[in-house]
Amino acid sequence: MHELSIALEVCRLVETRTGPGAANVTQVGIEVGDASGFEAANLEFCLDALFSRPPFGRAKAVILRTPGDDLRLTYLEIDE
Amino acid sequence: MTVRRIEVRERVMERNDVLARDVRRRLDDAGIIAYNLVSSPGSGKTLLLERTLAGVGEELRIGVVTGDVQTQNDADRLAHHTDRLVQAVVTGGACHLDALQMQDALDALDLTALRILFIENVGNLVCPASWDLGERAKIVVLSVTEGEDKPLKYPKMFQQARHVIINKMDLLPYVPFDIERCVAYAREVNPSLEFFRVSALTGQGMEDWFRFLKESAWAGSPV
Repeated sequence: MHELSIALEVCRLVETRTGPGAANVTQVGIEVGDASGFEAANLEFCLDALFSRPPFGRAKAVILRTPGDDLRLTYLEIDE
Repeated sequence: MTVRRIEVRERVMERNDVLARDVRRRLDDAGIIAYNLVSSPGSGKTLLLERTLAGVGEELRIGVVTGDVQTQNDADRLAHHTDRLVQAVVTGGACHLDALQMQDALDALDLTALRILFIENVGNLVCPASWDLGERAKIVVLSVTEGEDKPLKYPKMFQQARHVIINKMDLLPYVPFDIERCVAYAREVNPSLEFFRVSALTGQGMEDWFRFLKESAWAGSPV
């Protein structure tokens, strides 16, 4: 239900690391805890939509479901 | 072209949590106890607050921040019952309040005039569980016209809450709500929950709720 706001925050976190290089991001790793209150498939849907537009374009969300209640941005892959 | 990998390991909620810590510090510095009221739509949060303001609003210097997806109707209703501060947040479609909105609401309130601040969250038992607003405690309002298995259906909210107000007790004889089973379900997900059984409409049980608020205000710590 609130995954879009989380997806926007993920985009913000990625951009703070890449700056104008966001277009070169190819993978964004995210861990979604089963008890986090966030739905992995819904989050992936939102991220796919956001990553298909500028400043992104090539990024793909790679979501790993984990036990617990954490929600983390874990890694970025950038094609330089 | 080479692929470079950057390890991050950053919590996505960190930004909200930093803001929530700031809200909590501001509230603590001002000696304000904040309760975050969460529930399904239609549980009676606004009437409960209206009656609370009418009963002990002046004595306990109660202010309210209301969150609604659209309209300021709740804030307008509450403003009829108090000269104290009611701050409306219209979320514009968002399903919860967040700590940034709480920061803005605190900026608009006279914190020196308050002892207790209620946050009337958006009616929703899912999303508000994930956003810390800097409150002292979350209080779930659950009415007897709902399913008694709500605590099992929405465990995260009940795990995060400290109290449950079972509202609309005047309707209990007319609905198939098994109150003891509801309490048992809630304690199954959070054994330390404390309960109030009230009808905000008739006033039944409201004295227990007011006593709790008075003890909170006088002690300056959660009961």
